[in-house]
Amino acid sequence: MDYLVATLLPQLLHGLVFGAALGLLALGLTVIFGLLGVMNFAHGELYMLGAYAGIALISVTHSFWIALVLAPLAVGVVGAITEVATLRPIYRREPLYGLILTFGLALVFREGARQIWGGDMRRIATPVRGSTPLLGMTYPNYRLFLLAISTVLLLAIWLFFTKTRAGVVVRAAVQDAQMLDALGVNVPRVFTLTFAGSAALAALAGLLLAPIFTVYPQMGVEMILLAFIVVILGGMGSMGGSVVAAFAIGIAQSLLTLWLNPQRVAIAIFAIMIFVLIVRPRGFFGREGVLE
Amino acid sequence: MSSAPRTLPWGAPAAFAALALLPLAPFMSKYYLLLAFDALVFGAIAMSLDLLMGYTGLVSFGHAAFYGLGAYAAAVLLERGVLSLWACLGFALVVVGVYAFVVAYFATTRRGIYFALLTLIFAEVVYTFFRYTQTFGGSDGIQGLPEAMLLPGVPIDTPIKKYYLVLAYLIFGYVVCRLVVASHFGRVLVAIRENEDRARFLGYNVPRYKMGACMISALLTGLGGALYAIRASYATPDLMLWTESGEFIISVMIGGLGTLAGPIVGGVFFTLLRDKVSSYVDWYFIVIGLVLVAIVLFMPRGLVGLRSAFRLRT
Repeated sequence: MDYLVATLLPQLLHGLVFGAALGLLALGLTVIFGLLGVMNFAHGELYMLGAYAGIALISVTHSFWIALVLAPLAVGVVGAITEVATLRPIYRREPLYGLILTFGLALVFREGARQIWGGDMRRIATPVRGSTPLLGMTYPNYRLFLLAISTVLLLAIWLFFTKTRAGVVVRAAVQDAQMLDALGVNVPRVFTLTFAGSAALAALAGLLLAPIFTVYPQMGVEMILLAFIVVILGGMGSMGGSVVAAFAIGIAQSLLTLWLNPQRVAIAIFAIMIFVLIVRPRGFFGREGVLE
Repeated sequence: MSSAPRTLPWGAPAAFAALALLPLAPFMSKYYLLLAFDALVFGAIAMSLDLLMGYTGLVSFGHAAFYGLGAYAAAVLLERGVLSLWACLGFALVVVGVYAFVVAYFATTRRGIYFALLTLIFAEVVYTFFRYTQTFGGSDGIQGLPEAMLLPGVPIDTPIKKYYLVLAYLIFGYVVCRLVVASHFGRVLVAIRENEDRARFLGYNVPRYKMGACMISALLTGLGGALYAIRASYATPDLMLWTESGEFIISVMIGGLGTLAGPIVGGVFFTLLRDKVSSYVDWYFIVIGLVLVAIVLFMPRGLVGLRSAFRLRT
């Protein structure tokens, strides 16, 4: 019982918190995949840019909260410009080109961040201090806040896609962009706005996780692999699947660290991934035959 | 029907003869010889990747693991005093062959993006192992290796010997790839790329062919890795980082998919670009990223593809 409260429970909560943030990151990735058929290699860099934009805005405004609103907007604009300038011309090409294009963009963003902000590790002071007694243990307030806001955001995104007209249009574009075009919807604009939204979500995840993790130019490289794993596990293009898989990976990772050292955990996660790809490549909820 | 634009029969021998004469040029200092070594290794690996990407239609994001394993295999032998070049290359072939067989066995059951991701994850497992366990030196890798011996008493110690070694490897790899592409086996690979289902209906054992292509490509890449360890006298886990695989893919794309000669040009171009730009500015990754974006946007068929497109028009 002591073991349960002292070690297992905090670790489980850590997993939930991390899973929720990972969900925000993976959700953008999976929507872009469903919409444009592009595995966005630059997604991790948008996540990284979110954290750096947050640091820059905090130093100007001295408020984490203003930065939390403005940084995703700024990165969203970067995303929109990127989409119009580079991705739009290659919509009809093979997915391979999108992969390589975004790989190039990732290099540019990563090196750009290193040039502007330097290569050092940085930290953001925790905006919510203290901790709360919870189920017989004490848990940091910021992590509870992180869990709450991520959950609210995930719910809001779900409502957006199911209840609003704009959300339905995006889902329709995922289903059949040509048909939507024929029905008189400005499909390129839908694509651009969705890409901007996905960039903003990645930036939000980056800034939200910054007080827990460290901020450095390569921070996106590690996250993007995990986010890819989540997207595959959930099923390519399935949003619900991505969220479920994000929580599964988040919890699996933090529970495994109880018994294994971090690199063994990484290998264990890779092993899960290889197993899923071989046995059931469409993941938990993916449609059969998508890009198989 | 091979879809590769056929280079003129004397084109390749002439290019290799020019490369063989290159060390005679007055500007070829020690530094440039070693740079040429790196460029040719990179080109040769890009070419062997092209066998998969351009001819079979499989994008491997895990070639860095074949490269790095080849380097480690050579490094482990050299470190223990086994100096024979042939032993190093043979051991690299065995190590890379075993690993590539496992990867190819599983990865070739999938295609498209799933194949790319499977190869990527397998390579990440290898990278994580070499990077974080101390068995093979952890993040430092294996450093300070002695010079390998071509024959007992004939060390490969000067840049010029190393250069001719890599040139021999490049020619060997090119001949192997050309023979593969021209063979029945190679034609079936192209058929699989064009329409996998139809190739299956025609009775070809598609997974077997894909595995064959993977193995040839991986073994050639592993040889390149072993040579790199011999030239640099070290092997580090950074050789197997997934961004390295990305750079191989970039080289293939720069040169032109499905041309064999193109990726060699692409690999050389990429290595020289990285070297030249990085000697002027320290933000060369921005330049490389932008070059990549520009290639995808404006010349998706690559440097050599551009030439053949031009030839078709005239």
